[in-house]
Amino acid sequence: MATQEAAIVTGGSRGIGRAIVERLMADGTNVVTCGRGPRPDDLPESVVWVQADVSLTGDAARLIKAANHAFGRVNLLVNNAGVQVEKTVADSDDDDWNLVMNVNCKGVFNMCRAALLDMAAHGGNIINIGSISGRVADPSMALYNASKAFVHGLTRSIAVDHGPKVRCNAIRPGWIMTEMAGDAFALATDPEKAMTDALARHPAGRLGKPADIANMVAWLASDQSAYVTGECFTVDGGMTAASPLNPGLF
Amino acid sequence: MKLEGKFALVTGGRGGIGRAIVARFLREGAVVYAADLSPQGSLADHDEDGSRFVQMNVADEAAVQDAMAQVRSACGKLDILVNAAGIEIEKTIEETSLEEWNQSFAVNCTGTFLTSKHALPLMRQAAKSGTSASIINFGSYDGFIADPGLAAYCATKGAVHALTRAMACDHGPEGIRVNAICPGYIDTPMLQSFFAGEGSGGGGGNIETLQQAVRDVHPMRTYGTPDDIANLVNWLASDEARYASGQLWVLDGGLSAQVQQMRL
Repeated sequence: MATQEAAIVTGGSRGIGRAIVERLMADGTNVVTCGRGPRPDDLPESVVWVQADVSLTGDAARLIKAANHAFGRVNLLVNNAGVQVEKTVADSDDDDWNLVMNVNCKGVFNMCRAALLDMAAHGGNIINIGSISGRVADPSMALYNASKAFVHGLTRSIAVDHGPKVRCNAIRPGWIMTEMAGDAFALATDPEKAMTDALARHPAGRLGKPADIANMVAWLASDQSAYVTGECFTVDGGMTAASPLNPGLF
Repeated sequence: MKLEGKFALVTGGRGGIGRAIVARFLREGAVVYAADLSPQGSLADHDEDGSRFVQMNVADEAAVQDAMAQVRSACGKLDILVNAAGIEIEKTIEETSLEEWNQSFAVNCTGTFLTSKHALPLMRQAAKSGTSASIINFGSYDGFIADPGLAAYCATKGAVHALTRAMACDHGPEGIRVNAICPGYIDTPMLQSFFAGEGSGGGGGNIETLQQAVRDVHPMRTYGTPDDIANLVNWLASDEARYASGQLWVLDGGLSAQVQQMRL
């Protein structure tokens, strides 16, 4: 029987997920990650890659099994995989609903359920990636916003139902500079002005980096947060603490 | 008429929002005391509206006790108390003097505390008469998220939110309901002064452009009127709201429901 322990990070091919994978590795954790595509070429060799779709119950079980096989029991699960569809309720069709809810809601549920088979008895730690959009609405992101509120609610339920063996917390990232956000700024009418405006809305004076979220994951994964469970932490450079009406910007 | 036979006192009752509340209460059949520093309050003038004026500084305990003694001798009870008196200092903590800080807390927090404290015996009398007595405090969406350069104001409103829940806990068993309304941008002298002020970026700029920009940030594409606030105050004051207590009622045209709108 293996003596090591493993962390599973879903959606670790790029962006926030990749930063979490790299941080956990740097902290000495064995990491298994997954994505719907093939293994990214630049993924560090020691990371185990499983091609999997978290919205499929069978894939979730397969992911846990692969982690057990490679490193032993899974004591940390980071549910990062997520998709977004930029539509209002009126514009969303059944396919949009199925995509967003299957990955963002059922995927998190699937992974938690599979991990809890062992964690509920032997202990463990679950960290879910929610969003500030699960608390306040991003326009034309209706299903995404709702799916993230689901993640926050599920986080509290797991903490309540499966404590004290299992801790479960969520992180609510704000605007994190990923390829997706970069594209949005590049497409703005006046990219420079758009960036100046965006920065002014952040008391921290900059947009987030994937590593900012990974830092919070590392803390929640550590014994420093031993008494922390059932919480959702906002990491957004102060954006949602500020009124959207910053008259200095007009 | 929802408030027939009820006695109400509104602090800041001659100010922008207070006047709308007083007028609404009168239309709903209540006997209304408008408490303020002067008969015209924060506006230029005041027409006779049928309310009973009480000169009262909410931060002056003796004045508050005098006002309640007047209500006691004339009415014997108080069904509705609205703590609408408030001031706003447009500064960061670094720019705020201790005097300004203390003044903000004196009016916004101590005023709510003193007025409620000395109204309680009269409100218990009202509760005993069979219907619930209702205290309505004024918080602000600024008690949840900050406007820049309004530090003391934000802090006082956060304090009012916590005080509201505490009062609801302590006095619920006596039949007294306590709620707070948390307005967003409402068209009052306070807001217009904010638009014209330094901190808003409106000083020297085009105030019309600024006002339109502010409207556009709201999901409802407008800021509120004092009547919008009075509509909710009226409901919370009425017996229809008999199970509503300890809550913070945000009324802001959806402003705080959204993520910051990047200009993409």
